Amino acid sequence: MAVDTRIAAQLRDVHHRFGEVGVLRDVALTVRSGEIVAIVGPSGCGKTTLLRIVAGLLTPSGGEVARPDSGVGFVFQEPALLAWRRVDSNARLLARGDDAIVDHLLAVSGLLEHRHKWPHELSGGMKMRLSLVRSLAARPHLLLLDEPFGALDQITRHRLHDEFGALHESEGFSALLVTHSIDEAVYLADRVLVMSSAPGRIVGEFAVPFPRPRSDHLRYSSEFAALVGNVARSLYRYAGDA
Amino acid sequence: MNEIRPPASPRTSAHRSPRLARLAPPLAVLGLVIAGWYGLAYSLDNNFASADGSALIIPPPHQLFVGLNAATVSRIASATWVSLGTAAVGFLLAILVGVVLGVAMSFSRSLESALWPWLIAVQVTPVIVLTPINVRVVGASFTARLIVTVLIAFFPIASNTLFGMRSVGTALHDVFTLAGASRWHRLIHLQLPAASPAIFAGLRVSAGLAVIGAVVGDFFFTRGTPGLGRLITFFFQDTRSGPMFVTALIAALIGLCFFLAVAALRRLLVSPWHRP
Repeated sequence: MAVDTRIAAQLRDVHHRFGEVGVLRDVALTVRSGEIVAIVGPSGCGKTTLLRIVAGLLTPSGGEVARPDSGVGFVFQEPALLAWRRVDSNARLLARGDDAIVDHLLAVSGLLEHRHKWPHELSGGMKMRLSLVRSLAARPHLLLLDEPFGALDQITRHRLHDEFGALHESEGFSALLVTHSIDEAVYLADRVLVMSSAPGRIVGEFAVPFPRPRSDHLRYSSEFAALVGNVARSLYRYAGDA
Repeated sequence: MNEIRPPASPRTSAHRSPRLARLAPPLAVLGLVIAGWYGLAYSLDNNFASADGSALIIPPPHQLFVGLNAATVSRIASATWVSLGTAAVGFLLAILVGVVLGVAMSFSRSLESALWPWLIAVQVTPVIVLTPINVRVVGASFTARLIVTVLIAFFPIASNTLFGMRSVGTALHDVFTLAGASRWHRLIHLQLPAASPAIFAGLRVSAGLAVIGAVVGDFFFTRGTPGLGRLITFFFQDTRSGPMFVTALIAALIGLCFFLAVAALRRLLVSPWHRP
């Protein structure tokens, strides 16, 4: 099912089971065009399953899913690079022949000077940047991100948050981001959704009022801390035994 | 005032010539082998009891080429050609059969469960013992030689290809699924490159097996130009130990060349990007 142009993705009454185990229950959510929505939830609550359903990699046991006709971009927990292709060739994997966008993305991600390297020669942060570049090179209307910054050290993570924010400003994609980190969710998203423990459902929604572009100063403001606290309280209330 | 000096490296000699340091241990073993060879040659009773004083059982290294007349050299050369051809074509066929079987089984679990026990059965059977049957059915032809070689050599390639194809990560598969990749595109651009380190590990084992198949299988071929295997039995019956050793050394050299060829190809295609 396609969606109207103001909406990037929409889920209605989605539920999913793996055999006897209920994973998702009555999930409804909307990602509007150009919006970044973050989902936080306890481990094993079905966040990744939800993302795979939105991507079309998994058919839900029930419910309706609408996603862009042009397909979606997906950034995985691991960089998922082709080890036998150099940086440049990895970046072009999904680019549909649009060399200019790849060059532009490599440049803004600081990867242009590393374009002839093999993936194993890159740092963890550079690998994740390349993974992001590869997904964005396909010009997706909707980008799905499954804890993409989880394995990085804090300095690299914060730097990548700002780069991601800048890319979002310049490319104008919509994004659905799954993360363990409430800080990350609040810093990057326009809205934060809280999921309960499995079978996961959306139990809280928080609008993030901070203007863009956001900078590191925001992380140390009292408003930021207050919102993070509110999301955390909601998360802990529904986290169950997770 | 005390001067701070960098500590002396405990491995100065190794730093000076790492290449020599790497080569020294195997060269030392070679020296020991040659010393042992001489020791054995001169300690055996009756080894030098022949009329012309040449070795009957084990020639010492400097006597290897004694008794190599033009006719013998020509026989060894044509046998080398037969065995080299069998091993090379057999190895290429084993690669084809192994990779195709591995890929096919990775595509279909039911095909894997149907074929796998039989592949194991072929693998654990000493295929050499089937060679006489093979010769009866196909005749003592080049084809029969190839069949023996392929049967001995294909299994490590098939099993490693299957393992390599199955070890591709879910996320990588998802990238190709989301891009709408066809099965063929996925095979060529994802699965085979990802499986190539495992395939090369299989090739390394199979390279040696192909030479074993070509040389040992040859023992059973009583017609046509003899390969290295049958030539060794001729020289053995003639008690011509020098030519017998030379023939065995050539068989070993062919095996070594196959191994080195696979290693060189791996260094070209896999080593630049692969970090286990």
